[in-house]
Amino acid sequence: MAPQLTLQAPLDLPPEEVTPYLQRLWTHDLEGSTGAATFTLLVWEPSWLEQQMVRLGRVDGPITGLLRKELLEAARMAVPETDLPQSTAPMDPRLAWAMGQKGGDHKSQDLRGQFVESAISAHMPRRLITLAPTLDAGHPLETLVAAYCPLPEEGGAGAACGDVVVLRGGMGALKQNLDLIQPLVDDSLPCWVWWNSSLDEPSEMLEALAPLPRRLVIDSSLGEPRRCLDLMLDRISAGQAVNDLNWLRLRTWRESLAMVFDPPSRRDALGHVVQLDIDVEGDHPVKGLLLAAWIADRLGWHLVSSYMVEVDGPGKGITAEFERTDGVGVQFTLMPLPMGAPKTHPGAIVGMRLICEPEHRPPLCVILCSESGGCMRLESGGMASMELAEDVVPLPEESEEMEMARLLSGGHNSTAPLLAAAVPVAASLLPG
Amino acid sequence: MTAILTNPLRVGLRQERVISPQCIVIFGASGDLTHRKLIPALFELFRQRRLPSEFAVLGCARRPWSDEEFREKMGAALADEIASHRTAWEQFAQGLFYEPVDLQQQEHLVRLGQRLEVIDRLRATRGNRTFYLSVSPEFYGSGCRALAGAGLLADPERSRVVIEKPFGRDYASAQALNKVVQACAKESQVFRIDHYLGKETVQNILVLRFANTIFEPIWNRNYISSVQITAAETVGVEERAGYYESSGALRDMVQNHLTQILALTAMEAPGRFDPEAIRNEKAKVLQSARLANEDEPWKCCVRGQYAAGGSLARPLPGYRHEPGVNTNSTTETYVAMKVAINNWRWQGVPFYLRTGKRLPKRLSEVVLTFREAPVHLFDAAGGAPTPNQLILRIQPDEGAEFKFEVKAPGSGMRSRPVDMAFSYDESFGEPSDEGYVRLLADAMLGDPTLFTRSDEVEAAWRLYTPLLALIEESPWQLPVHPYEARTWGPAAADGMLADDGLIWRRP
Repeated sequence: MAPQLTLQAPLDLPPEEVTPYLQRLWTHDLEGSTGAATFTLLVWEPSWLEQQMVRLGRVDGPITGLLRKELLEAARMAVPETDLPQSTAPMDPRLAWAMGQKGGDHKSQDLRGQFVESAISAHMPRRLITLAPTLDAGHPLETLVAAYCPLPEEGGAGAACGDVVVLRGGMGALKQNLDLIQPLVDDSLPCWVWWNSSLDEPSEMLEALAPLPRRLVIDSSLGEPRRCLDLMLDRISAGQAVNDLNWLRLRTWRESLAMVFDPPSRRDALGHVVQLDIDVEGDHPVKGLLLAAWIADRLGWHLVSSYMVEVDGPGKGITAEFERTDGVGVQFTLMPLPMGAPKTHPGAIVGMRLICEPEHRPPLCVILCSESGGCMRLESGGMASMELAEDVVPLPEESEEMEMARLLSGGHNSTAPLLAAAVPVAASLLPG
Repeated sequence: MTAILTNPLRVGLRQERVISPQCIVIFGASGDLTHRKLIPALFELFRQRRLPSEFAVLGCARRPWSDEEFREKMGAALADEIASHRTAWEQFAQGLFYEPVDLQQQEHLVRLGQRLEVIDRLRATRGNRTFYLSVSPEFYGSGCRALAGAGLLADPERSRVVIEKPFGRDYASAQALNKVVQACAKESQVFRIDHYLGKETVQNILVLRFANTIFEPIWNRNYISSVQITAAETVGVEERAGYYESSGALRDMVQNHLTQILALTAMEAPGRFDPEAIRNEKAKVLQSARLANEDEPWKCCVRGQYAAGGSLARPLPGYRHEPGVNTNSTTETYVAMKVAINNWRWQGVPFYLRTGKRLPKRLSEVVLTFREAPVHLFDAAGGAPTPNQLILRIQPDEGAEFKFEVKAPGSGMRSRPVDMAFSYDESFGEPSDEGYVRLLADAMLGDPTLFTRSDEVEAAWRLYTPLLALIEESPWQLPVHPYEARTWGPAAADGMLADDGLIWRRP
């Protein structure tokens, strides 16, 4: 779906006039309409990679905050020009930083916060607040405000309306004006905070934007792995509704693995797993750890030990030992693999292997591999005597905005139980 | 039977579509259906996290209950279920509200609109509403008019109305009701519910037929000799005598449930998986369907009524001795009929439909019997080879079964039939949802695929019009044959098939 611009050009107002203007707008100018009783969506939208690529003239503007195809292509082409490994995913925050070291001064219009994916606008956010930090740290704060009403459907009535607020400026100006945010958030409606960036960014900003009971949406593939997992763990423990796009992208892997064990004849084998191997792209282990943690949690395994291991690859591997409910050990290995054409986000799963040794039956080896990666490594060695179940896991093709729209369409004020159960195990699995 | 282990990896994995924040308004909230089916189904959706946090249920009926009384009564009705999910119930119950409403009172509708706005604010339900008319059928039309008059159906994107069966009593009344409903709301807002369509196996008829290449080429008159559709109940009329006396098996089961299964079994492939494309095909096949003998309908239909039966230890009363039933009642509790579908696919293939109360087993199934092999090369262990049969079990033990001939062990070349079976509960790591769970979710999602459209309802009534007219005008031509409770219906029903050289399948 084509992204939608706000129907009205936004007004550039002095920061102190934003709240009074909006109050006036809803009480006087739009008399009779109180606005959609829906939700507030607060987006941290630095779009560092896009800003850098536009600055360098590698993609055309305007800056929208959307993950455009041209942007991803330009990012892939830029990786070899940096010191980063070939396996670096386009969304890896290190790539944006590396591009920041290059010279260039192309200017472009900045429309962040004004481009709204139609799947999101269809849910009629009551207020969409975008914080758009600029590359220029000293840029003063600009505040843009626009009201919108969706075009009434044929025969429709009572069209709900909302407004769009964009706070754009250097990091310093944004930090100084954080107190503008709270009055803009209607506490009687649900509020989602979409941290659309790396979790390595200054924590005070996240702390300020996403206090309880706001619902947090993050991407645990972006940021230092320990920080990503600890942040999720802390927030979930505090009772916050945490939604992780990296976890949502695991959906097809979890579904494919569950399907292998749907036939009743195989179900017993789940109680006799002895080995689990997961291969991931590059050096970001979180997605692989979440997958292992989900399996361990569902099968009632207890983590005994976990170590980093040196491997021939872009990062360190992880080996661990679990104990099954019957006391038997399960060996786990997570292996980082160098990939020539990595997927969009760091740490995508390349393949997984699960070996079960049921009593009185030949061992069962389940191998799942990604459409693009193949799983030659997992297929090698010592499986001739095993029953082999092999499948290819389809790649989800939905954009971040579509995933976000799905979350917004039917939200929850608590973390999904499977994620809540998997995060502590994943955090324990990551050594150190 | 050996217990099947559940699949622990399957838990929480259903890739269900997300239900938007909304308020479901149940009219007739003090009635049976609300506490027996609707609230349990909504609670199940809540437990599966398929309902968003921004969700509310507003019960409406004439009784002057408070929110708290409504919560208590629903809680009491679900006591067993709640016992193991206490916390979930407490969270769910926070979204239960009650408003005393008489749909015939204008000021009540005004109050209802105001209450809904308060709930929208309180629960952030976004002005998105599903109205469920769980009221007596005579109030469907006036209920829709009242909702439309109060402006509650004005937004076609954010308001829907669900109407329970029966939708009309005959073709003329269904047409009249459709006119009223369509004057109040767009067809896309109207969800005529038939809970049979919520069953996995009924939906699986579509998948089986149109997702596999092996079935569709033989799903026609060249390979199929007959189709039997059975819905058997072991229970009697129970507490429904008041309704059942004026309805009977034909209106209660055949016109809706069995006819919907007939449509799914016989329809052409839709151009795409789209609600309207599917409903177009269902409507078309129903428009091609006729009683096998419209001029002499008594020759293609048998009516029955259960008489006393059961065992010495547990005798069962006959229908006419059930509480609330007229002792001279001629209401049928069993009906069997032969239907023809006059199109290229099905010309000459009889479809036999039967349903009854107090039969020996509770089951619903579709049986497709294939033509016999043109030449019998082998002796059959049973005397004659059994034709291949594909049996789609709708309930209980949802699944499918294929019967075919194999060589019996031993010397010689004698054949005998064997079964190849598939069971939903065994094959998938978790039991299927109850029909209302699926259908309520679909209505709230605004997906009409599993609901009957106005033209389907009218076509279904038109199909049975000759029978209804006969029962009305000259009932002696279609007598009610008594049958002993817990038997497979009157002998005349067997005779109807025997005339075609067939027998009913004994499940």
